[in-house]
Amino acid sequence: MDPRLETLRTQAPGLVDDADSLEALDAVEQQVVGRASPIAEIRRGLGQLPAEERPIVGRAVKEVADEIAVLVDRRRSVLEDEAETALLAADAVDLTVPMDERATGTHHLITSTIDEIVDIFVGLGYRVADGPEVETGWYNFDALNTPADHPARAESDTLYVDFGEPEDEMLLRTQTSPMQARYMQDHDPPVHVVVPGRVFRNETLDATHSPVFHQVEGLAVDTDITFGDLKGTLEHFAREFFGPSTGTRFRPHFFPFTEPSAEVDVTCFGCDGSGCKVCGGPGWVEVLGCGMVDPAVFDAVGYDSAGVTGFAFGMGVERMAMARHGLTHIRHLWENDLRVLGQFR
Amino acid sequence: MKVSLRWLADYVDLPTSDPDEIARALDDLGHEVEGIERLAPSFEGVLVGRVETVEAHPDADKVRLTTVDTGDGPTDVVCGAWNFEAGAIVPVARPGAVLMDGSFPITERAIRGVTSNGMICSAKELGLGEDADGIMVLDDGFEVGTDFADHLEMPDAVIDLSITPNRPDAMSMIGIARELAAHFGIDWRMPDTSPMPGDGTSALTIEIDDDRCPRFTGREVRGVEMGPSPLWMQLRLERAGVRAISNVVDVSNYVMLELGQPTHAFDFDRVAGARIVVRSGHEGEKLTTLDGVERLLGPEDIVVADDEHGSSLGGTMGGEDSEVSTSTTNVLVEVASWDPPTILRQSRRHALRSEASARYERGVDVAMPIPANHRMVRLLAETAGGAPVGELVVTETVPFVPATIRLPLSLVERTLGVALPAEEIIDHLTPLGVEATATDDEVVAVQPSWRPDLTRPIDLVEEVARLRGYATFESSTPSGAGGGLSTEQVRERRLRAALTGLGLSEAKTFSFHGHGALDALGLDADDPRQSAIEVRNPLREEESLLRTTLLPGLLDAARFNVAHGVGDVALFEIGRVFLDEEAPEFGTVPEQPAVLGFVLVGASGSSGVGSNRRPVDAFSGVGLVRALAASIGMGAVGVESIDQRPLHPGRGARVLRDDGLEFGVVGELHPKAARAWGLPGRVVVGELTVAPMLQDPGMWLFVEPSLQPHADFDLAFVLPDSVSAAAVVEAIAAVDGATESVVPFDLYRGPGVRDGQHSLAVRIRLRAADRTLTSDEVAEMRDRCIESVRQLGGTLRGAE
Repeated sequence: MDPRLETLRTQAPGLVDDADSLEALDAVEQQVVGRASPIAEIRRGLGQLPAEERPIVGRAVKEVADEIAVLVDRRRSVLEDEAETALLAADAVDLTVPMDERATGTHHLITSTIDEIVDIFVGLGYRVADGPEVETGWYNFDALNTPADHPARAESDTLYVDFGEPEDEMLLRTQTSPMQARYMQDHDPPVHVVVPGRVFRNETLDATHSPVFHQVEGLAVDTDITFGDLKGTLEHFAREFFGPSTGTRFRPHFFPFTEPSAEVDVTCFGCDGSGCKVCGGPGWVEVLGCGMVDPAVFDAVGYDSAGVTGFAFGMGVERMAMARHGLTHIRHLWENDLRVLGQFR
Repeated sequence: MKVSLRWLADYVDLPTSDPDEIARALDDLGHEVEGIERLAPSFEGVLVGRVETVEAHPDADKVRLTTVDTGDGPTDVVCGAWNFEAGAIVPVARPGAVLMDGSFPITERAIRGVTSNGMICSAKELGLGEDADGIMVLDDGFEVGTDFADHLEMPDAVIDLSITPNRPDAMSMIGIARELAAHFGIDWRMPDTSPMPGDGTSALTIEIDDDRCPRFTGREVRGVEMGPSPLWMQLRLERAGVRAISNVVDVSNYVMLELGQPTHAFDFDRVAGARIVVRSGHEGEKLTTLDGVERLLGPEDIVVADDEHGSSLGGTMGGEDSEVSTSTTNVLVEVASWDPPTILRQSRRHALRSEASARYERGVDVAMPIPANHRMVRLLAETAGGAPVGELVVTETVPFVPATIRLPLSLVERTLGVALPAEEIIDHLTPLGVEATATDDEVVAVQPSWRPDLTRPIDLVEEVARLRGYATFESSTPSGAGGGLSTEQVRERRLRAALTGLGLSEAKTFSFHGHGALDALGLDADDPRQSAIEVRNPLREEESLLRTTLLPGLLDAARFNVAHGVGDVALFEIGRVFLDEEAPEFGTVPEQPAVLGFVLVGASGSSGVGSNRRPVDAFSGVGLVRALAASIGMGAVGVESIDQRPLHPGRGARVLRDDGLEFGVVGELHPKAARAWGLPGRVVVGELTVAPMLQDPGMWLFVEPSLQPHADFDLAFVLPDSVSAAAVVEAIAAVDGATESVVPFDLYRGPGVRDGQHSLAVRIRLRAADRTLTSDEVAEMRDRCIESVRQLGGTLRGAE
């Protein structure tokens, strides 16, 4: 072997390894394999060699050149990594500084509570309906077996509006129940529907009352719906909404449009029944009213009261949402204070 | 209805004395317990005693030596009080008694050498008041040796019940006794309502000229001595929430609470002609009721009158003229039945609600006037020393006919889900006073006179369920016939999710506003939002109109937040507005479309250190609408400038669905309106009709994206200000060719561009579906785009 190649072969690794920057490595590369390097010189001299030596010397040169190229590439890769690492180190930032913050809004607690309630019944195969907020006295009261002189129809309880003829008795619905009548008029049994919506009463705003609030109404009608079905359905709802260990109590009550009627208490979700601020001591929280649809309602909407039975229920959305999340005053649901809305999730 | 358990014990011997257990039973019966108040004396073992002797203490000036008899003979008691002498009836704590809630045990002890076997008590020591100056001196009605606590009707518990309006019978002690007796399967008893024989004959006559009074009973009681009623009666009334007034008035109230039957006592000497006429009010007739208010009557009213004038408003309130007073000696006891709707309307018309009217309007037991009258006469004799005269005078115009109800057993099973045998049904109904018999497949029942709510078969089903106990019915869960959210409902949720994702929070505002709110918006005179439906009976001016726009509520909310230091406000609401259009036909409700409103104040964009937040302006609103439309797959949104209040005249637009349907307006609020709400900077508002956004857009089909290379070129045009960017984009997009997108990226006004003109730069991207475009094709498209914009009056910038 050409002594110059031998020398190169021994010296090159040290030179490559000593290169401490990409620039130095480039210079070393020039020195060992560049135009002025012994390798280039030997290659240039190949033509003058005897023909039988040329392939031997040629192979030797290539062998050494390849060896060195591998060394250089390896060193370059190391140096590039080092350079990038240094660059990235310099690029480090304090990510606790807010810099490109995206604001998202929140759903109102009333909406998310309604969605949650509705979805439980959708899971049971119910449909969801929506109805007018300005309603006629017939739908809001008469169809629901509430006589003309019932106290709830007094102006002290119900907000009336000037629209249409005076006999129309146009009012702001006091309950979502008128949709029972509208839905049954539009659909033959079987009916399984929930109706969320706004309702109105002639009240001033205080901690627990508001002239505007929300209810979710439910109605199930079929040929064989029983009081047991009512209980089972609402017990299921209570467990889904308030938690799997929720107990339920049905107390007889009175509503004009259901009979038998009941109010439903659930075991307090604040204290599990031992007494606390949420339930006020007894360990039960009243959450909804319900009952078997009164035959008079079926008669009013043109259903055959001898052929079908059904149950209906209604619950106050604010009441449930406030109790569950510890809201102290209903105004927090209406002021739209972004510091409050931001808490809803 | 407040029920004292001690009082209740007069009518029923309950198997438990635990108030909680009794309350639970009442809850299970449907009489909701609102609270339980436990009353216990602060003392134990205090007896009624008589002071036999009072002497000076041999070795002390400030105390005296007495002997007191508490039923087992005189015993020595040293006492420091001086407000009594021998013969006084006093409460005495003997050794073994404990005062002050257990903190003060009484023992035999020596006071200055004399052994005192107890203590005579002051009101303060018994926890009955602040008076500590002297001992309590009782009246002679207190029997020596009796437990003093008994006289105070203690211990006791008062259960506060919310009685549902269908159950007037439960607004009485006997009604509650009957319910509990039925629940526990025990008997109950009436108080003594037997007639008292009367002396001589009474001159009283009763005539009913109006059958809205089905029956009227009256009896004269002479020789009444007006004064306070006995302590036990006062205490019972007080626990029921009724103030004690005088023996005659208290007896009347006591009978009402006991039997649920309102009664009235007239001063009989003030009843002209000793004659009662029940009649309609005369037009223009005046009557001053017991509350001192002069009432103007009419034929709708029903009046109890004497020979000369009206003396009370039937079933509602007595009149001042015939009121009993301290000088009354002869009383007329009135107990009547009244038509419930008449009383309801009458009390509402006169804004006069009394304990009596509250009961009559729901329906009082029609069989109760006669026994109640006897009961009241007895109690008057017992507590006020009166003696009845003659017989009870009874006049009846409409006899009570109880309903006969045929209850098919199948209805019980269909409703309750359990086949109950007739015997069990009858067992549940009988204790309630329902006379029931069984046939093959029915129970035939007769309505009790005190249950106006029991007239139909379903009413009896409820009674059976109630008495059997709601807890006894096994639960089952039917599932619906396949439900789910409709397309519109799903899309509404997506819309809300998009809004919150875009940084807006959901607000809820009232459905009302006042006239001032519409004025503050500065709406045009012919704007349909000006004609709002009026609320007939609003409580406040701010609630006098139904909203025609969501903006006032949202702007109020924005103001609230700005006032509380939240400068960047982004709120939306989806809710109904109400349009005052002619009702097309009877019974049709007004149009009340759902609207999406939003308001932006402050800045938008990402925030942080050195961030480039952009103050909101009309473009923020348009961009928001476009993003919303995209989020629910609505397609391109058209934007057309409008000059419409409450928007800024040059910064407002209507927005159009891709089929050209206008679905709302968006822009900056007119500065005048912004000032009216005190909002700083540019305020962005929008109102969109929700229905066109939620409408099912139909099926969509996949478009294969081209893998061919694209060619981009930019063109800057000088345009008259009358040409909108949208028109330029549209003109370029309309050029037939491989145009993929046209996006404006620069807008310039200033030196180099004449007034009334502007420069708009757009980037055009071409891409063919199937091949690489040649440079000739790109050059040709460029020329055609320039030509297309030239048609609009635009010239290529630098080429003009």
